[in-house]
Amino acid sequence: MNKRILICDDEIHILRAAEFKLKKAGYEVCIANDGQEAWEALQRQTPDVLITDCQMPRMNGLELVQKVREELHLHDLPIFMLTAKGFELSHEALAQKWNVLAVLAKPFSPRELLEKVQAVLEEQPAPTKC
Amino acid sequence: MSIGNSNKLPLETLLPAAVAFGAGWLGDWIFDGGSLLRQAACASLCALAVAGVCWWLNYRKRCEEQACRNYFEALCRVDPQSVPADTAHLGLPRPPKDPLWKHLGEMAGERLLQLYRRIEDLEHARAAWEVRCLRAGERAEQMEQALAALAEPILAVDEHDRLLFANRGAAELFQLDMDAALGKVLSEVLHCRQLAQLLLSTRRHRSALARTEEIEITDASGRGRCFKATAMNLSASHKGAQHEGGALVMLRDFSDQKNLQKRNAEFVSAVSHEMKTPLAGIKAYVELLADGDVEDEATREEFLQIINSQADRLQRLVDNLLNLARIEAGVVQVSKQPRSLNELLEEALRVVQPTAEAKQIQLVADLSPLYLGVLVDRDMMLQAAINLLSNAVKYTPNGGRVTLRSRLTDEQARFEVEDTGVGLSEEDCRRIFEKFYRVQKDKNMAQGTGLGLPLAKHIVEDVHGGRLTVESKLGQGSTFIVTLPLAGHA
Repeated sequence: MNKRILICDDEIHILRAAEFKLKKAGYEVCIANDGQEAWEALQRQTPDVLITDCQMPRMNGLELVQKVREELHLHDLPIFMLTAKGFELSHEALAQKWNVLAVLAKPFSPRELLEKVQAVLEEQPAPTKC
Repeated sequence: MSIGNSNKLPLETLLPAAVAFGAGWLGDWIFDGGSLLRQAACASLCALAVAGVCWWLNYRKRCEEQACRNYFEALCRVDPQSVPADTAHLGLPRPPKDPLWKHLGEMAGERLLQLYRRIEDLEHARAAWEVRCLRAGERAEQMEQALAALAEPILAVDEHDRLLFANRGAAELFQLDMDAALGKVLSEVLHCRQLAQLLLSTRRHRSALARTEEIEITDASGRGRCFKATAMNLSASHKGAQHEGGALVMLRDFSDQKNLQKRNAEFVSAVSHEMKTPLAGIKAYVELLADGDVEDEATREEFLQIINSQADRLQRLVDNLLNLARIEAGVVQVSKQPRSLNELLEEALRVVQPTAEAKQIQLVADLSPLYLGVLVDRDMMLQAAINLLSNAVKYTPNGGRVTLRSRLTDEQARFEVEDTGVGLSEEDCRRIFEKFYRVQKDKNMAQGTGLGLPLAKHIVEDVHGGRLTVESKLGQGSTFIVTLPLAGHA
């Protein structure tokens, strides 16, 4: 079964670029337009990786991450942040507090994003059931 | 005698000798060759003459002594106030004629005059000091009044950290009951520990340099305000030596400056975010194309279009930023001419029509049949109208309606853009014209620069002297209202 990746961003062209790159690498990609939509998607199915923007309507990326970490079955979900506020966020604090694996600053490289996702998923012993 | 005319023989010596000599010589001449009796008579006559002269001299001496006594008594009775300063001698008694006493009298008189003048000088100095003291007292009172009237809160403590002074600003800020607080140890009456500590440490360090700290203080209304507190020592000098004399602190409210800095930082952050978003698209799609990830022509075409649209978006953002900056700086070239507002609005409608059609939004033109002549810069006012219409279309769900209405009201031209969109909260209405402010709900409905409405407001209000307001309720759509002076009244 292909690994499932949930990408959350309010910019459709960012979603499209990331989705295209990850799909081409063989992953199953779900998209969400804001934090609320991502949270609802997470309730339906648990992905193997969550990639989220920070500044979004309704529910922002930090609120989403907090909710995810408070949920028992999502506690170990690998999370990447993809944000234009890359320099304003404390990567160490995000890693320590919410176990965010990496913060990728926009403009981002789809290639680099794929490499990071692959590195995490290769470490996982068995595919997660969605 | 050596006092007086020392080169002349004194009268008391010469006169009896001269009288005795003269009487002897006269007797010899009268009784020359006479008997013993005549000689005795002559000698008696001489003695009588000498005795007479001596008596006369003694009498004259007593008269002189009396004159001297009278003189000195008169000198003692002289009223200093009656002695004129410049012609002081006129106010003194005449000294005795005797050369000895005359000289002593003159010296005593001169000394007395000097003393009088000294007293007079001291009197003047005392009067001058009294005036200076009075003025110093007045100045101190004025300074206290000035300090009390200053808006900046000022506090002072004495060398024992007791509250010495607090002006009205300080009393209000710290809610001090001055009657009770004065003279009390500062830490007992001041709830702001940081400020009390600053004053205390400044006083103890006795540095000549002022110390400044940023302090956040909650005022009586509960509002947090930022102050720059500058504390300095009050050194007291006594007989040339410096003594510890307490400390003073002045607070300057720089909350507005702080807020401005915060807004500037937010603005830079927002600009950065708004620029990075299209840049992210351009970079990502360029990389996908360059890496050869795209295999079919349709996808390649799609990606190129995305790159193009993101580049356009970036350009719009930069243009809007520049326009806004130029208008704010007042360096924009404005060419105002009388125009028909309706014609201008019809043109704006034509521009946004395709976007509205794409969302199946009904674009309604309800324009006044009257000619609404306005004195405007055509391009700028067209830009403002397009921005308002585009904004309405962006925030109106598919299938909604946007109405453009124009009217003549109270010698003003008025146009409104009314939509059936998501509406605005009270906070949204208050902040909607801020740069990069995005409505919290349904942000994902629109993709804008966050500068369209601020730009429209600047164009309408700053450039054309009109007014742009918004009326809205959440879920009930919004109406943006523009009023402009008519061409003849502009």
